[in-house]
Amino acid sequence: MSQPDAAMISSVTSAAGKVIPELVLLGTVCINFLVGPFLVTPSGRALPGLRHRWGGIAIAAICTALYLWWTGSTEVVTTGPFRVDNIVWYVRGVMLIAALLLVLVNWSQIEDGKAAESHACLLAITAGVNLVALANDLTTLFLALELISIPTYLFLFLPRKDAATQEAGVKYFLLSVFSSAIMLYGFSLIYGMAGTTDLPAIQTALANSNQTPVLAILGMVFVVAGLAFRLTAVPFHFYAPDVFQGSAASGAALLSFVPKLAGFIALIRLLEPVVDAAPGLLLADVMLPMLWWLSVITMFVGNFLGILQNDLRRMLAYSGVAHVGYMLVGLNVGHHTTSVPDGIEALLFYLAVYGLMTIGAFAVLIAAERDNKPLETLDQLAGLHRVRPGLALMLMVFMFSLAGMPPTAGFLAKLNLFFAAWAQGDVSNRWLALFMVINAAMGSWYYLRVVGAMYLREPLDEHHGSHAPAPIIASVACTAMVITLFFVPTWLWTMVQTVRSS
Amino acid sequence: MANWSDIALATIPAAPLAAAIWCGTVAQVVRRTTAHRPVVLALALSLVAAAYVLFVVVPGSVVDSPAAHSQITPIESSGESLVKPISLIASETPASATGEHHGPAHKAYIFEVYRWMSVGGLTVDIVLRADAMTALMLVMVNFVSLLVAIFASSYMHGDKGYPRFFGAMALFVFSMNMLVLAGNFIEVFIFWEAVGLCSYLLIGHWYHKPSAAAAARKAFVVNRIGDFGLMTAIFLIYRTFGSVDFETVLDPARLAELAAAQPGLITTIALLLLLGAIGKSAQFPLHVWLPDAMEGPTPVSALIHAATMVTAGVYLIARTTPIFVHSPTAQLVVAGVGATTALVAAVTALCQYDLKRVLAYSTVSQLGYMFMALGAAAASPALAAHAETFAMFHLLTHAFFKAVLFLAAGSVMHAMGDVIDMRRFSGLKKALPITHITFLCGALALAGFPLLSGFWSKDEILAVVWEATQTGDYKTYFYLILGVGLLTSLLTAFYTFRAYYLTFHGPERFPEEAGHHPHDASPAMAIPLYILAALAVVAGLILGPTHIYAHYIEMTPNFPTAAPAGMNVGMMILSTVLALGGIGLAYSIYGKATRPEYSDARPLSLWENVSLNGLYLDQLYGALIARPMATLSAVCEFVDRMILDKIVDAVGLIPIIAGGMIRPLQNGLVSSYAAVMLLGVIVALASVLRAIASVT
Repeated sequence: MSQPDAAMISSVTSAAGKVIPELVLLGTVCINFLVGPFLVTPSGRALPGLRHRWGGIAIAAICTALYLWWTGSTEVVTTGPFRVDNIVWYVRGVMLIAALLLVLVNWSQIEDGKAAESHACLLAITAGVNLVALANDLTTLFLALELISIPTYLFLFLPRKDAATQEAGVKYFLLSVFSSAIMLYGFSLIYGMAGTTDLPAIQTALANSNQTPVLAILGMVFVVAGLAFRLTAVPFHFYAPDVFQGSAASGAALLSFVPKLAGFIALIRLLEPVVDAAPGLLLADVMLPMLWWLSVITMFVGNFLGILQNDLRRMLAYSGVAHVGYMLVGLNVGHHTTSVPDGIEALLFYLAVYGLMTIGAFAVLIAAERDNKPLETLDQLAGLHRVRPGLALMLMVFMFSLAGMPPTAGFLAKLNLFFAAWAQGDVSNRWLALFMVINAAMGSWYYLRVVGAMYLREPLDEHHGSHAPAPIIASVACTAMVITLFFVPTWLWTMVQTVRSS
Repeated sequence: MANWSDIALATIPAAPLAAAIWCGTVAQVVRRTTAHRPVVLALALSLVAAAYVLFVVVPGSVVDSPAAHSQITPIESSGESLVKPISLIASETPASATGEHHGPAHKAYIFEVYRWMSVGGLTVDIVLRADAMTALMLVMVNFVSLLVAIFASSYMHGDKGYPRFFGAMALFVFSMNMLVLAGNFIEVFIFWEAVGLCSYLLIGHWYHKPSAAAAARKAFVVNRIGDFGLMTAIFLIYRTFGSVDFETVLDPARLAELAAAQPGLITTIALLLLLGAIGKSAQFPLHVWLPDAMEGPTPVSALIHAATMVTAGVYLIARTTPIFVHSPTAQLVVAGVGATTALVAAVTALCQYDLKRVLAYSTVSQLGYMFMALGAAAASPALAAHAETFAMFHLLTHAFFKAVLFLAAGSVMHAMGDVIDMRRFSGLKKALPITHITFLCGALALAGFPLLSGFWSKDEILAVVWEATQTGDYKTYFYLILGVGLLTSLLTAFYTFRAYYLTFHGPERFPEEAGHHPHDASPAMAIPLYILAALAVVAGLILGPTHIYAHYIEMTPNFPTAAPAGMNVGMMILSTVLALGGIGLAYSIYGKATRPEYSDARPLSLWENVSLNGLYLDQLYGALIARPMATLSAVCEFVDRMILDKIVDAVGLIPIIAGGMIRPLQNGLVSSYAAVMLLGVIVALASVLRAIASVT
């Protein structure tokens, strides 16, 4: 009687031992949700300044998680519900740092009465992304993805009560549920064919057999489609501009990076055996062209539509779409020993850099807000360098980085992807590299328009806006990292390369 | 563990960078008025480190295994004394003087800081590479920078942008040091751009002055043309050699092979490098930005636009001599550009009234001399060593005497309430004795007065060109170059002393801006002036005829074989006569009591007609170059606006039209979004099914 219990307890403790940073985050989430309501009057008011305390708690939780991550074991474990390997290590690091930045970005965007819940959502989302990387089982993977989605609905909904925010929240909710359903359908098909939810077993089954049942392949298509929603790959991107425009800037900042990170990690986990497969594997032969088209269409549509935007957040939404197209190039190239760097390395490098530049750009937009009214259009940035030279300079750095110009990390990130695609040698991948160059040129059009508006036009008024420190700290940190990573890319690069060795 | 050599090499750029960061951050808020202190301290540190590199690191970096270089016999090295190992090489030289390049006895000392990137086949390491040429440049750059910084601490006192000025200056020294220490062409390019950026920031230091802002922009734009050349050259080098490292690219054996196979390619690379050098070193026809750059504060003119940055082009060509020796065509162009520049700038300098512009044109002209020397190797590869040595030697002495001239001009400007027009003051000899004596030292050195530093270096350049007229296929061409060089030498002495006499002699007059009692240089300004003046007088004598300089620079790896050098006494006498003649000519017009009243407009004497001829040439130059350029640019603008712009617009319309076509899908309705998503899934499924059907 006691024997099975002991085994069960030990397996639970060993599984829990792998997710200690996430447990810290989720524990803080519980505290926030449980204690938060008691500090708020029934009408939703709270002591002024309460948000600073909740923000501080969130930062403390993330820093603890970072400490645990840094000092934790890096021993590779591939069995059980959670898998620990170098990708997990990398994703945890990237996501926790992104979470720190997002807490700062969110700091002044939220009322005192809702700060507890908002920061709790952010922490839950962070834990969710880490769990996506950790998931070693279809069920865990799905739960982890939903651990991202559900708090995200709340996170988008909390900051403001106007109709636009609510519409954005509802739109995201409906379409997200739709995409989850598509993905879950795919999972069920795969489970039905493979007879197991264990990811390594599914991977082996998919990669080693040319007898892959057609239904399993269709299941993969559904899964990719479901994840493509999170990536905002075309044609699953439609919600992005509307939701970005409607929600608070912190919500847009979160959406612009976190779901993409989770989506790419899930894709890498699921498709790794496919893109790495020797030629002739049926699954690879049918999936790779799909990914190729997904990449091409995504980057072109993202940039075409980005050019037309006058609304800053819509523009950044399309910019995100285009960047997903570039990153899909990395997935297409995959692990290949022939190319240095390989596609996955370049993709992981790009993800981190993209996170820095897009969160940084939103942080600047928040810092430049006036009277807590979000910056909407390009015209509102006119002459920013006169009024707020520091902010203008930082936004210029992010725009240069997004456009892929030196001396910013965005340049190296694109260069890596380009070389990965080019050096791999396949004609199809070389085309991708070429398309990427064309798109980078098109993209710089609208990025430079922002710089032009800030530097060449006269300010509309002499309004200096707020000087809330949190978003400024976030944008300074992002600027410093974007520039430092250009000069010392090896810091990130060695981390990325440990992933390859796993 | 890092050894002392690594520490010294790292200190040279790191100290100014730290000072620049201090000035850019902390000093913007507190300690504004003492922002110069960290900069001066950092530059002093860099100078000590550079001296360590000069005296210890470079002489100590000897090739370990001579077997690696089969062509040379083992050379024992003490490494302790500066001269001893070099004299050993020098004695070796005649034995192997068969026109072949032999391997170096000295190698570059390389401190690999880190690997910057490694993508595709391109690996770029950030390295600090020191050899003899680098060490000489480093000592010169940091020495002059230190003195200029001390000078500027007094000169810029009370300026609103005081910390900004010192921050940009420290950043410049950092970039310049990195440029010189670069071990590969990518590093060269990055810091080539960085020094340009700092120059832009410093020219535009008083950005509220429209002329300063315009001058900064002009410098920036004109330099882009040169940078395009450099960039293309680097790209070609990478394509050709598969590497951008100096050690790989400048390997003489490999270059010789390549030159035999593809002479056109080598010439193209060399010419593109030259284009880069022309832009940075303000050579004809891209020299137009330098005189305008005088809008910047005078210490900047002394440091960047006379002593250091503008010599980067000369340095680049000297550094890539192994490439140039294989392309006589490119070298002929180098010499031609140099001679043209020297003459055009000298002639233009004749009739300037702005003291700083006289000096600026003189800088352009002297840089032309250096190019002339570098190009002289076209006549015979045996000349390459002399050409490179003396170009670099003139670079060094020029840095000293031009820096003192500029700083003295700055001192004049300081005393005259920022007036620099020589028509508005004169006879400053009594009021500004320190400035007067130091300016005189610099002017004598620039004019090539016997035994002063300009005499030795310029003389050697003329001697090299003379040698070029004696051998090879291009005798006539080099006679022409020599003639231009000699004429320029006369003109240089003349315009230098014209400026000297106009400023310091004649009746004592001050502009009203100066007040009644102009004050001479403060100690912080006087000490740098004295030191530089002393060097302008003696540096040439110490380093030139003793061959210390020539022997030292021979330690540069891949340095061309040197033939035994002798003094060209005939050329010395000739250039002495020309220098004295120029000075005498200036004295006879401007030095006497009966000199023309601060105006050359009325032709009174034969000598003034000569001066007026200079004016004609200036106008001719304007008509020949500027007006066709303006016409050409008008035509280009027309073509650009009417044709190219339309094409670009049309291309630009494609994404807009395409975007507009997709846009209606974006109608904001959840149901239609869901429908499109579903459609996407269906299309994907269909295509996958079709693919499966076709495979199985």
